[in-house]
Amino acid sequence: MQIKKHPILGEKFTEEITFYFNEKPLKAMKGQTVAAALMRNGIRKFGVSRKLFKARGLYCANGRCTSCYVTINGLDHVLSCSTLVEDGMNVHSNESDPDVGGIYN
Amino acid sequence: MDKSTIVCRCEEINIDEIENALKNGAQTFDDIKRLTRTGMGSCQSKVCLHPVREIIADYHNKDLQDVGISRMRIPLKPIRMGTLATESKDSNVASVFGESVEEGDENR
Amino acid sequence: MKTDLLIIGAGPAGINAALTADAAGAEVILVDESLQPGGQLRQQTQLFSNLPKNKKKTRGTSLNNHLVESLNASNVKVLSNHAMVGSYLNGNIGVTDGFKTFEIHAKKYILATGAQEEGKIFPGWTLPGVMTAGAAQILINRELVLPGKNAVIVGSNDFAFEVIKQLRICGVSIKAVVEDKDQLQSEKQDLLSDLGNITFLTNSTIELASGSGEVEHVSIRTPSGIKELEADFICISNGFTPILEPFEVMNCKFTYKEILGGWLPAYNMNFQTTNSNCYLAGSAAGITTLGPILLTGEIAAWSVLEELEFISPREAHNQKKECWEELMTLENNNVFQKRTEIIADSLLQDNWNPKSYFTELQGGQIHG
Repeated sequence: MQIKKHPILGEKFTEEITFYFNEKPLKAMKGQTVAAALMRNGIRKFGVSRKLFKARGLYCANGRCTSCYVTINGLDHVLSCSTLVEDGMNVHSNESDPDVGGIYN
Repeated sequence: MDKSTIVCRCEEINIDEIENALKNGAQTFDDIKRLTRTGMGSCQSKVCLHPVREIIADYHNKDLQDVGISRMRIPLKPIRMGTLATESKDSNVASVFGESVEEGDENR
Repeated sequence: MKTDLLIIGAGPAGINAALTADAAGAEVILVDESLQPGGQLRQQTQLFSNLPKNKKKTRGTSLNNHLVESLNASNVKVLSNHAMVGSYLNGNIGVTDGFKTFEIHAKKYILATGAQEEGKIFPGWTLPGVMTAGAAQILINRELVLPGKNAVIVGSNDFAFEVIKQLRICGVSIKAVVEDKDQLQSEKQDLLSDLGNITFLTNSTIELASGSGEVEHVSIRTPSGIKELEADFICISNGFTPILEPFEVMNCKFTYKEILGGWLPAYNMNFQTTNSNCYLAGSAAGITTLGPILLTGEIAAWSVLEELEFISPREAHNQKKECWEELMTLENNNVFQKRTEIIADSLLQDNWNPKSYFTELQGGQIHG
């Protein structure tokens, strides 16, 4: 849920962009983090935990807890709270530990 | 509280597992870490440090100030191996990587 | 990369230290892992009083804009989106931008890495929708996104009340404030009166947060039985503790003061840690309020400037004396008291008083 006009800060973002979450197109504002872009669209489950596969989402929003990991443009385990969303960005939920080698293969 | 409540979010270690480590003689955070993997996940004990210290204090009937902290190591943040081993000439880490690769080549 | 002074953390303390050092002619690099400088001040829309130099009451966000503007107008080299990853054997700090890692060699370091929010464990606290109060504040004030519609707040400290107020004006309904102690923790009565009809549950804990992949339902254990609530997010406000890991890898010794946030690096009256090249400032030196945070940054910078001979010992003395006296006035008495205990320890003394310390020093020892 986007706050259209913040009671203290007013309007902050102007440009609307489109990104994809698990292939589905979604709208966000340029300048928002990926985590905020997902939550704006009501998506709060960003992935699962590595051992018990339990739902995970934004917890600390400060890049410390690593609970908000997602895969961005093929690169897994990216902190969605500390990465800005971009037009055309492909975001996928974090479903497991990475394959050894990953993007650097 | 329910003993199955998760304390370490990253490695998903619950209160029961931590208390079991304490029953087996664990005194410090690092003892618990070695026995259970608590604090060894992606956040490196940033989130669970103080909750675990509280469990230790309760179990050993100590004041919180008498329960120390975990050993915190480099890298301070999750970092990709490729980023850590950049080509940058002034990186000690890169030079260590370079040397080990060369040694491996010689042994072939 | 080489510089006179490397500061880690571009919150109010780090920025103020950087501006002070820059104005005196030192070369400064300021590293911060966030996308923009400002630290946690970026989303503090509440009003702050008790600021240094008789600055009038101001919103955190306005003060932040002012600090960042000054920073942009200065010669400080700001590396945003760069994180400290560790230190090398030669004492240099390793920094990464996510693609490459490089060393920065500085003559002196100031770690102004701030504090983190403490969690509070309860069954279901790992579910999406459970977040720190600070995370909710970032969402509404930085991102302009609502974390949900109906909130349960765990904890009742000052910060919890500030965030409740900010959530409410954005349209969030506060279903309950859950406090495990027998009374509310905030002493700010003016905040309480503003809050209107909110259900406060003392002596209470969360029995279970549940839902399908995210928080939908909260069960609260109260003295009068279990209370069931429909809520879609939970904010945990359990206080702050200094961030420790940068100090550990810089080989700084720690001490313990509960009121300052528990474990924290030990330091002297120059905000110098037990590693003589490494200083600290802000919440890393103990949890306090905004005015003192700004002042500690300044004291650390004056100390570094003196050490690197950018200013004379006399000027350093006068500047530090002024800052310490202001700190003594602005800071909560109990917090200030514990801070002086840390400094007394560093001097192997029973106590330390800034007034008598600086006055005695002035009695002939200062030259220049």
